[in-house]
Amino acid sequence: MPGTHLVENLKNLFATVDIGTALMNSFIIAIITTFLTLLIGSLAGYGFEIYRTKGKDMVFNILLLSMMIPFAAIMIPLYRFFGQVSSVSPLIGIDTLAAAILPTIITAFFIFFFRQNTKMFAKELVEAGRIDGLSELGIFFRIYLPTMKTTYAAAAIIAFMNSWNNYLWPLVVLQSPENQTIPLLISNLGAGYTPDYGVIMTAIVIATLPTAIVFFLMQRHFVAGMMGSVKG
Amino acid sequence: MSQVSGSANNTKRQSTFFTRFKKNYIGWIFILLSVLGIGLFYFYPMVQAFLLSLKSGMGANLEYVGFDNYARLFGDPTFITSLTNTFIYLLVQVPVMIILALFFSVLLNDPKLKFRGFFRTAIFLPAVTSLVAYAVIFKYLFGNDGLVNELLLGMNLIDTPLNWLSDPFLAKITIIIAITWRWTGYNMIFYLSALQNVDKSMYEAARIDGASSIQQFFFITIPMLKPIILFTSIVSTIGTLQLFDEVMNITNGGPGNSTLSISMYIYNLSFEYTPDFGYAATVSYVIVILVVILSFIQFRVAGDRD
Amino acid sequence: MGNKLSKKFWLLIVALLTAMVLAACGGDSEEGSSDADGGGDGGTTDDGATKITAWAWDPNFNIAALNLANESYNGETEIELEIIENAQDDIVQKLNTGLSSGTMKGMPNIVLIEDQRAQSFLQSYPDAFYPIGDYFNTEDFAEYKIPPTSLDGKQYGLPFDTGATGFFYRTDYLEEAGYTHDDLVDITWAQFVDIAKDVKEKTGHPMLALDPNDLGILRVMMQTTGTWYTTEDGTINLVDNEPLKVALQHYKELMDNDLVKLVSDWSQYLAAFNSGDVASVPAGNWIAPSIEAEESQKGLWAVAPTPRLDMEGAANASNQGGSSWYVLNIDGKEAAAEFLGNTFGSNSDFYQSLLTDVGAIGTYKPASEGEAYQYENEYFGGQQVIYEISQWMEEIPQVDYGMNTYGIEDILSAEIQQYLSGKSLEDVLADAQAQAEAQFK
Repeated sequence: MPGTHLVENLKNLFATVDIGTALMNSFIIAIITTFLTLLIGSLAGYGFEIYRTKGKDMVFNILLLSMMIPFAAIMIPLYRFFGQVSSVSPLIGIDTLAAAILPTIITAFFIFFFRQNTKMFAKELVEAGRIDGLSELGIFFRIYLPTMKTTYAAAAIIAFMNSWNNYLWPLVVLQSPENQTIPLLISNLGAGYTPDYGVIMTAIVIATLPTAIVFFLMQRHFVAGMMGSVKG
Repeated sequence: MSQVSGSANNTKRQSTFFTRFKKNYIGWIFILLSVLGIGLFYFYPMVQAFLLSLKSGMGANLEYVGFDNYARLFGDPTFITSLTNTFIYLLVQVPVMIILALFFSVLLNDPKLKFRGFFRTAIFLPAVTSLVAYAVIFKYLFGNDGLVNELLLGMNLIDTPLNWLSDPFLAKITIIIAITWRWTGYNMIFYLSALQNVDKSMYEAARIDGASSIQQFFFITIPMLKPIILFTSIVSTIGTLQLFDEVMNITNGGPGNSTLSISMYIYNLSFEYTPDFGYAATVSYVIVILVVILSFIQFRVAGDRD
Repeated sequence: MGNKLSKKFWLLIVALLTAMVLAACGGDSEEGSSDADGGGDGGTTDDGATKITAWAWDPNFNIAALNLANESYNGETEIELEIIENAQDDIVQKLNTGLSSGTMKGMPNIVLIEDQRAQSFLQSYPDAFYPIGDYFNTEDFAEYKIPPTSLDGKQYGLPFDTGATGFFYRTDYLEEAGYTHDDLVDITWAQFVDIAKDVKEKTGHPMLALDPNDLGILRVMMQTTGTWYTTEDGTINLVDNEPLKVALQHYKELMDNDLVKLVSDWSQYLAAFNSGDVASVPAGNWIAPSIEAEESQKGLWAVAPTPRLDMEGAANASNQGGSSWYVLNIDGKEAAAEFLGNTFGSNSDFYQSLLTDVGAIGTYKPASEGEAYQYENEYFGGQQVIYEISQWMEEIPQVDYGMNTYGIEDILSAEIQQYLSGKSLEDVLADAQAQAEAQFK
């Protein structure tokens, strides 16, 4: 039962698998992915809403289409693509963390999310920024970004979680043990004629903690009424 | 700063022309990277997948069959079962989850509530739990001598244990409970963060006018959150149409395909059976078509124009 | 002014990001790429050894076996083996994705494939596998292993572990119900059902645990007669399949009389016998270590041959699970084949340590005369469990598993639900046959 054998389970876990490497890889992937996802997604979400034109609305709707196909359907062409990339530049080809990261950082999901939240953003602030002589990017970084702190906090939680738990793509694109991530490691643990459930559950607890901590830290930004005070 | 703001003092016509030009040009810069990235990593493979859906055969032995795969769908009872199941999940689960998530986020947004952080984390935790653990827990809870049955027996609500996982109807209920448990906290985050962007003074004004908290919820919170409600319902619709994890890990599609989802069928066609990637791609495009139709309706209902 | 400042800021961000991505990925791929080259491409290392990679699942079993093989390898080609561990379902996905994408990048030299899936891989990707029949003698292996591992007369797989089944039972419960070991040897499934009724009546224990979503027990019953869901030429064989019909009748009788403890996953299945709930476990021999994991039941277990279906030519032996090694048709294939032939293909001593160190029973027949196979297992009251299993193994009727085992089973399991709730057996099989023919023409 959990608790009584915790120390033993931990010992077995560290003895049987290289959980340190897997944690490290998952952290590298999740942190880079979260950072880039937020930056690229919010730039686009802001762009689509603030500089709204018919043409951009059309492009936005087309981008949304990319959310609708099951990933399993595009996995094989994507693998072939990275196979071809491998021959040109092995640094971002198959079996590199870069290949695990790249297709996940630009998603219609976060563009959509930021666009919908930008609808709630007081657009007078943009005009105010222009009058103050800020450049358009300046307005984005100096006014929009600090004002939308809670939106970024929510996006960070989701992006980190998605990346941390991402399974299918890392599974097919990462091969060597040095590149293993946490979900793959857990999947391996349960894969025998005689699985050790104590060890599996211990690994799962370790795997769940980082996202829970990220959530706990980020949710503190969700404080009612904070928004009104950040008028520029 | 004062130098630049001088340029804003030009005639009105000039400035409108300037902003309009800028609006278009700068706007494209903001979205350029995303358009390129999604084009490369999603649309290019999507086109390939579509071409694949015009072929059929096992593994690498593919032959061009035109739209035969699409015709085959109509006579495929397993596909029709998976489609029906998925729609049942969608119709029951998405509204329940959205309402629950809204309810929790408003409740947990109250600044006077103690241990808010703890409650929020507790509701969010299911979303981060590893699938392996999640599946073990659910199979344990809903097993024949599991906790749920013991509870129901103890309360004298049932006489004999219910076969939650091996009865076709109850297994669907179990899956719906499982999805709701896992994803309510996830949707709650979107509402919680959006609630911070609602101007607090609106509530104060309403209170002065004597509006009850229920009235405030329906006349301030819901309208203000409309963009996010639209977002979550579309995202949840897509998520449910692509439902895979829960079915795969809790019931494995059973008993006898009664919980099979479309995505799980795609998985079976690609990996569990002798692979037919062409037909699997065809089934994937059915999901795309369905989501496009449903999202279009949702955008219309939400009146996205405002 | 603000304009310039934010441009600088923007440039800074871009520079920072580029540096971060390059640092993270570059640093990693330096290690990664050398492996990828060595793995898929069969490159050579500094000391001239050929590097080969192998994919397998289960650290305590297959991976351990590979490690052992690596130690005992003494062939001419210098080999450096890298073992990559993935769950079985994961390997199936990775292999399918890689092979169907047309790029062999990242694919391993050696891969373990479950026997029931092998034909679907061999036929789906005709040029992807390398025939290795020249590297070992197929006659040294249990006959039932050959049809699943070969195609068009060419041998592609090197047979590995056996899924030879046994009827593991609790001696105390069966004794209480009035049965001795001799009463349980070479029985039929019909007798098994009767015994189950006695056990339930006299001890209150269900005879066995089953997951209603897993029809493994039907396959075990069917194979005792050498039949399957499909015939050798791939024709779907449900409606006139007499063994399947009888097996289903037994299955329903077990269910209807409450002789089965229903479980919904593997951990519950294990718990069903570890807790002393059920009286027997008719399953592949690989279940033995899980039975032995419960030390308090030491001496209370024994194993009898698998019951057979009451039919002409049926044997008291069957199979559940088991896999074989395959070599992919990429650089390094000769070295990989030589490695397999030298170890799993011909080394009887290696099989002795495989048994003692890993607990794996191979399908290499000469090995069963070795000393390790004679071991008397105290847990099973001193029975020579391994030796008996290896004898049953040689009697397992040959079956061509074909390409559609799992597909047909999904269709069948939907129909079985209806059979259990009253639909007639003839209709059940006829409907399943029609559906399967429509799906797998």
